[in-house]
Amino acid sequence: MSEKVEVTLTVNGRKRSGLAEPRMLLADFLRHELGLRGAHIGCEHGVCGACTILIEGRTARSCLHFAVAVDGAVIDTVEGMAGPDALHPIQEAFHRNHALQCGYCTSGFLLTTLEFLRRNPDPDEGAIRRALTNNLCRCTGYSNIVKAVADAAAAMREAE
Amino acid sequence: MADVDNYVGQAILRREDDYLLRGQGRFIDDLPTPPDTLHLGFVLSPHAHARITAIETGAALALDGVVAVLRGDDLAELVQPIVAEIEFPGYHLHGRDVIAREKVRFVGEAVAVVVTQSAYLAQDAMELVEVEYEALPAAAILEHADQPGAPLVHEAIPNNTIFKGEFTTPDFEAAFDGAPHRLRERFRSGRVGGVPLEPRGCLALPEHGDNLVFYSSTQVPHLLRTALARFMGHSESRIRVIVPEVGGGFGTKAQIYPEEFITAALALRFRQPVKWIQDRREELLTNIQARDHIYDVEIAFDGQGIVQALRADITTNAGAYSTLPFGCTLETTGGARMIVGPYRITNYAYEARALATHTAPSGAYRGVAQPTCFMAIEGMMDRIARHLGLDPAAVRLANMVPTADLPWVNAVGVRYETGSYVESLQRAMQMIGYQDFRKGQPVDRLVEGKYRGIGIASFTEVSGTGAPGWRARGLARLPGFDSGIVRVEPTGKVTAYVSHANGGQGHYTTFAQVVADALGVEFDDVTIIEGDTAATPYGTNTFASRSAVTGGGALIRAASKVQEKMRRIAAHVLEAADEDIVIEAGRAHVAGVPEHGLSFMEIAETAYSMNNHSLPEGEEFGLEETDFYDPPLVTMANAVHIAQVAVDAEDGRVTFENYVVVHDCGRVINPMIVEGQIHGGAAQGIGEALMEEFVYDEGGQLQNATLLDYLLPTAEDVPLFQVKHIESPSTDTVGGFKGVGEGGLIGAVPAVLNAVADALAGLDININRKPLRPSLLGNLIREARMKP
Repeated sequence: MSEKVEVTLTVNGRKRSGLAEPRMLLADFLRHELGLRGAHIGCEHGVCGACTILIEGRTARSCLHFAVAVDGAVIDTVEGMAGPDALHPIQEAFHRNHALQCGYCTSGFLLTTLEFLRRNPDPDEGAIRRALTNNLCRCTGYSNIVKAVADAAAAMREAE
Repeated sequence: MADVDNYVGQAILRREDDYLLRGQGRFIDDLPTPPDTLHLGFVLSPHAHARITAIETGAALALDGVVAVLRGDDLAELVQPIVAEIEFPGYHLHGRDVIAREKVRFVGEAVAVVVTQSAYLAQDAMELVEVEYEALPAAAILEHADQPGAPLVHEAIPNNTIFKGEFTTPDFEAAFDGAPHRLRERFRSGRVGGVPLEPRGCLALPEHGDNLVFYSSTQVPHLLRTALARFMGHSESRIRVIVPEVGGGFGTKAQIYPEEFITAALALRFRQPVKWIQDRREELLTNIQARDHIYDVEIAFDGQGIVQALRADITTNAGAYSTLPFGCTLETTGGARMIVGPYRITNYAYEARALATHTAPSGAYRGVAQPTCFMAIEGMMDRIARHLGLDPAAVRLANMVPTADLPWVNAVGVRYETGSYVESLQRAMQMIGYQDFRKGQPVDRLVEGKYRGIGIASFTEVSGTGAPGWRARGLARLPGFDSGIVRVEPTGKVTAYVSHANGGQGHYTTFAQVVADALGVEFDDVTIIEGDTAATPYGTNTFASRSAVTGGGALIRAASKVQEKMRRIAAHVLEAADEDIVIEAGRAHVAGVPEHGLSFMEIAETAYSMNNHSLPEGEEFGLEETDFYDPPLVTMANAVHIAQVAVDAEDGRVTFENYVVVHDCGRVINPMIVEGQIHGGAAQGIGEALMEEFVYDEGGQLQNATLLDYLLPTAEDVPLFQVKHIESPSTDTVGGFKGVGEGGLIGAVPAVLNAVADALAGLDININRKPLRPSLLGNLIREARMKP
């Protein structure tokens, strides 16, 4: 067993520190050391996307990174998307379109969508489906997620 | 019950969304754990069938932070062997040790459990447990499992035949022999699973000595609590089961699993919190699986395609053990009972058997039996059409039970109370433009490099099974009822407790709609509580498309009782007759005089003795009622799916060009949520039809125990589903609701298979199995094209 080391991240705009064994997954560090449990673990082999977060603004599987390896990084998680009152427009669109059922995969879809719409603010259905294809959902059949992403894109364009 | 539907039938957005969208849903691994929590890790057998000859635990125990390593014999002192007590002629009962003792019977069966101070340490300790096995030959493939000389899974069960049943209607032979046309086919269905995004897990917290608070990602909290008590020999009243947020279940979490007993027993044994979180490999190896079925079907019909008689010979894979609480015959008997579907097939015979194999246990996965029995009968409808040169839709319409003939009792005695079989098919055909598609379809089906076809699935959907329905299938110990408590609090707000467990179906929204209407109160004033055995009354819980029927019915009955009491109190205070009181929108008033009334709060204050009004003579304090609802045998929903597909002539990939569903689940509570259930089910059905399959080799090794290899549908694999509702309210259930949870999956499997078969009809390719992977279809297309 190797010694724990201190890891400091900028998470949702704030400096956060904790101790991690070198082998500790970033997902476990965020969830169990920092208490940010919105990213969920679905497979631990990078397939399902439930643990998706943003590292330096790009989507990443937090189950495929070690916490120590991203020391100093800027991280965004689902907990940073909404304020205490209003939801983020993407979250609002997911609500309006019934784009979640059990909610386990939802954080991953939200962060994937957040990054995708920054790159492509006016996507067609094919582009949306391609962007979502790395995240698995077992409840919704994707139809309403696809609609929600298009709806969110429209709402965000209108707000600008 | 109020006469007016203010909320039932409305697409009200879900209450549960806000906290889930914020990442604040608390699933089992999100719950806070006390610092002294012990973590479990299971050492799994790499053999499908082997004798355990030695288990060396010294190296693991020497590791700092390892508290214990326990074997099957150690656990046997804490938990009795689990037996699913099925009472059915021809069923062989057998027990399962929660950890294998002498022999293992499938890859993934636990042979030891490590108890450690952290989840990471458990991984280290598991690797240090050395187990010696004497490998034995396995019976892993269904086709060979009952052959002479096949290795036995349980020594006491001859030919691995756990169950065998048969049935025939009186005139079957004459009708079958007398028909001018006959066709036969073997349909083969691959093994699949629910594969929820959240694996299983549980957390046991001992409290006040031998009380236990037990969190589990389960669909069946009350059944789980009873089972824990029975098999651990612990007082049921000292166990409280709480269901956190559940990340999908689809039936897989309606079973009660060995790890739940072990986690509970070890928390009591060590007097410390104990936690176990399943990983994906364990999920794929050990959760129940379903659908490994062989259907040998013979159908006899006349020159117009009218079915004269049907014979089905059904073989299902039971896996290594019968599971709690359903045993291993749900799919065996379910398929046998439902294969006649919406058709007037009165002459019917079946033989059905469940065979034990050295593979993961089988159980209840969304759709139970119906995706495969309708794959068979709907496949035969298309074959009749092709044989006689008729349109497949026309053959179905000619065979359907017309609405005027309802209620109808099918050949095995299942009652179809209301429905819309003909209308649903006609509506779906209009939606997709069926006739125009057929007119434009070339004989070889080849359009721009792709074979294009259309496929229909028309089916009935068993839902809301009551106790008589379970008894008819040998489930002697499974109740059918669910229950609800409705309470108007002193401030006039309403709390309703229901025996179900939410796992994404939107219960906190839909049950509130039901209670608001039944009580005559605003939706926002109703709060639903479920998934906690200390708060909610007993019930059968959440699986088999039953929540709306059984929970909705129980809540309507309880709310109606509360409303009657409120009516009596209001009449007393307002000095009016009971029958002149109208209750609506959170107020009771005298009919025709809306200003002469009382708010719910004013009535509640009277009931709780918080004002100067007296209660009517003989009335008791409080505003709370409990009621139970056990529906009849079943309530029968129905639907039609039509899929339009293109099959790539080169690589065999199937893509969707259109997909419509017309669904009839009786009275709809929330059409948005119903559609969501259908979308999700249909996507799972597309997965089952085109890609999903657990692949076991002859030795019983699961070849694809990762999500890279067990393929789930992605956003690029499924179409936008168009859904329309028809409402034929049930006349047999309180509230008129029918279930809808499974229909999406049931319909998608036969619709997709028939669409692919239609697309490849010009090549004379026989589609009689699933999944239809690109590799399979690509090979079939190449072979067909090489034929002279």
